[in-house]
Amino acid sequence: MTKFSVQKIKSSLTEFISSKGGKCALPVYILLTLGFVAPLFMVLGFSFATPRSFSAFTSFSLDNFIQIFDGSTSVWRSFLWSIALAAFVTAILAVVCYPVAVGMVRIFGSKTSTFISILFVFPLFVSENVRLYGWILFFGKNGVLDGICKLLGFHGPDILFTPGMTAMGLAYSYLPYMLFPVIMGVALVPKDLITAARDLGSSRLRTWWQIELPLAMPGVLIGMLLTFVLATGSMSESKILGGQSIIVITNDIDVSFTFSQNWPQGAALAVVLTLIIGSLTLYAFKKIDLDKLMGRS
Amino acid sequence: MISSKNEVTQNVAEEIKPGQPLLDLVNVCRDFDKVKVIKNVNLVVKKNEFFTLVGPSGSGKTTILKMLAGMDQPTSGDIVLGSKSISTLPPDKRPTCMVFQFLALFPHMTVGQNIEFPMRVKGMRAEDCIAKAQKLLDLVHLPEDYYNKNVMKCSGGERQRVAIARALAYDSEIILFDEPLSAIDAKLRKTLQKELKDLHRRSGKTFIYITHSLEEAMFMSDRVGVLCKGELKQVGTPEEIYAHPVSRFVAEFIGDVNIFPIRVKPTGGWGSTDFPGQLFKVEPHGDDLEGYIIVRPEALKLVKEGTQVDNVIECKVLNQFSLGSRSQFQLACGKKEITLELPRSEVDLNSVGKTIKIGWNAHDAIFVTE
Amino acid sequence: MEYTKQGRRNRTLIIIWTIFVIAFIYLPVICDALSSISKGRYFMFPIKKFSLDWWSKTANSIEISSLVSNSLLIAFVVTILSTVIAFCGALAFARFSWKGKKLFQKIILLPVFFPQPVLGLALLLWFNAIGINLSWQTAVFAHLVWITPVVTLVIAIQVYGFDPTLEDAARDLGATPFQIFYRITLPLLWPGVWSGMLFAFLLSWGNFPLSLYTTGVDNTVPKWLYSKMVAGYTPMVPTLGTMSTLGAAGLMLVGALTVYMMHRRQGRA
Repeated sequence: MTKFSVQKIKSSLTEFISSKGGKCALPVYILLTLGFVAPLFMVLGFSFATPRSFSAFTSFSLDNFIQIFDGSTSVWRSFLWSIALAAFVTAILAVVCYPVAVGMVRIFGSKTSTFISILFVFPLFVSENVRLYGWILFFGKNGVLDGICKLLGFHGPDILFTPGMTAMGLAYSYLPYMLFPVIMGVALVPKDLITAARDLGSSRLRTWWQIELPLAMPGVLIGMLLTFVLATGSMSESKILGGQSIIVITNDIDVSFTFSQNWPQGAALAVVLTLIIGSLTLYAFKKIDLDKLMGRS
Repeated sequence: MISSKNEVTQNVAEEIKPGQPLLDLVNVCRDFDKVKVIKNVNLVVKKNEFFTLVGPSGSGKTTILKMLAGMDQPTSGDIVLGSKSISTLPPDKRPTCMVFQFLALFPHMTVGQNIEFPMRVKGMRAEDCIAKAQKLLDLVHLPEDYYNKNVMKCSGGERQRVAIARALAYDSEIILFDEPLSAIDAKLRKTLQKELKDLHRRSGKTFIYITHSLEEAMFMSDRVGVLCKGELKQVGTPEEIYAHPVSRFVAEFIGDVNIFPIRVKPTGGWGSTDFPGQLFKVEPHGDDLEGYIIVRPEALKLVKEGTQVDNVIECKVLNQFSLGSRSQFQLACGKKEITLELPRSEVDLNSVGKTIKIGWNAHDAIFVTE
Repeated sequence: MEYTKQGRRNRTLIIIWTIFVIAFIYLPVICDALSSISKGRYFMFPIKKFSLDWWSKTANSIEISSLVSNSLLIAFVVTILSTVIAFCGALAFARFSWKGKKLFQKIILLPVFFPQPVLGLALLLWFNAIGINLSWQTAVFAHLVWITPVVTLVIAIQVYGFDPTLEDAARDLGATPFQIFYRITLPLLWPGVWSGMLFAFLLSWGNFPLSLYTTGVDNTVPKWLYSKMVAGYTPMVPTLGTMSTLGAAGLMLVGALTVYMMHRRQGRA
């Protein structure tokens, strides 16, 4: 039995190495094994270590996980905040980005669309800290908004360092991650189908709901997944714009590793976060054919 | 029956009697960035007829169809339904429905859902929709169990039928076809052409069809309009178009033809620059002094001892092609190339390279001025 | 194309909305730029007095020039390595059809769909466990894990547009595999490779969450900016931020123009 399965693994490995695609994929696989799988394995190891120890795989304890869920710490609240903020931001961004995507695919000409895409890609290349700091200059005391309000004779609103500001920061940071997949999705919908539905007497709203949206869904889903996952794992927004008014989960993880020097605790939190994000991602990946989305659309 | 936005125009269309003018295009022009794509088209489509617009690519036939469907509007001129102008109405307010070139079937719906779509849009009850969809499946010769089939898993011909069934489900007076058979292989195309013709008769709708193949147009239509560079060159029954083309363009569009320029010589009699020094017998209409004569390959005869024809020329045989029951010959008379078609029984198999005499009667040639 | 009143209205609304969203994206960047050219120690709007003092102070700072050279070094090495690995990856992703392709397409996306702070910490644990000291080299490795998949996707888009029969034709005409690669495949994919390099460089240059845990003593620009932001305001933060933004914009402009020229030469612009 074992001999048979060993042979099977061996033959499928040979097949992998001998295929051209397999050879080309090899460097990426090596990089991801050393830089992604192995580190996550380390995190997993630490999460089962005795609290406050500094070596993995030498002890075994479930204390770290028990602590998360038994209510002795408020870390569950951080989880809730992270997930709630991410869900809220994902919903907002889907609504914000969809009309822009429709414009890019169908209304603006191809040259204008290329230019607008460059405008949306560019912020990704500027460190997000710098961009978030700009909001402080905008909303802060004596900032741009405050200054304008004072010119008009009243005080500017004091909204910096609130949960709402964190949400705005997240929406701001992850807008391009929603926009581009949605553009790909909308581009998947042949224009003929929209015209045909209208010709068959369907109203604009109905055409959108029954024809355009279902067909653009793969792109919209990828966009929502990407924003949700990245927003759940974000840190800078709550630190810089939220001013620690709420603690998000990555913040707790960061504190465990740095300030309180409890690596196993941080690792356990990271494992739970990874499980949430990973299961969501894997579930979505099962449903989506990337060849179709990225290929000749 | 069911209230829908196109009720008014649909009623207008329904009140017109079969054979009476239904759609009237009056001086319709369409410019794209100052390029005149449609130039002053005047056309009447009668109720219940199968009308085909035919023309080479770029002749503007799709533009006209889009203007009929409401997906485009004329720059000037008017499109009139009965007595109501519909030029500016959007697609969903016209009694028209389009079958698209690439069919535009909704890929995320089953065959049944595709066909039911326009009925659901109108707000018909679910059981009525299903019953009518089943009827339509039967009408387009698709098996009943296709109702639940994924539309993307259907073959090309089946998709074609689904698209037509969907258009019929909309129950509009006029169905527009945008070259729906162009991507289908020749054999299946013939079958579908026959079915379409049959469907037209049984459905009692007005079909407006566009194609680049005059052969396809003549095969199915009651009347044909020939379009060239945005101008409507000729409208008539397939027989009229074949027997009396009004211009060289129309004649050439039908198939292989021989065309000779012809004019009255100062010394009297008709002469042609293609055959210097020779006089021809020609039947012009009116007092035209110059024009072209069109002689079809099958109107040419092989001239032997005792054959009586009005005009005779001498040619060299360059090539011979078999068309099955007939044979085609490529001939040369001086620099002019001529095509001749003969039944197989008359063919001399070793004629290539020989010189032969061919001829035609004046009433077999068509005289045109342009 | 739209003739109805409603259609025209929707069109106008979408245009206005898009302009609004673009304004939203660039508003904070403009605020940074404004504060970098105001004179005071503390930012006040409306700006009383403009000056380039903070620009010259920032440009002349020794600390900052060492940050910039660290960031440049990391970005440069990441660009080279990630593009080479990603080029192969993109071929496996889009060019060849092989048994493990669908799986590969999904696995390679996992790091992109993973929170970077957590990935940074995981790498920190891993480096610690195998006894590697943190330095700019470990930062390069950390950046590679996240950036290589992104570059793979960028190049893959170009590969999807590549007609594989061209390679067959070249082989048929007697070209060796190396000649095919060098004379056919690479030139046709070059615009995608170039875009990928641009992405790699700029993403590495601006990366903060991975650098935070993996650079050790070799500080980078985004990391420094963050530490100053948390510690308190100095106009050097928006100034360096604006400088970095302008540098990235210039590089992107040059890069985008180059890609555009390449497409034009291939007759695909």
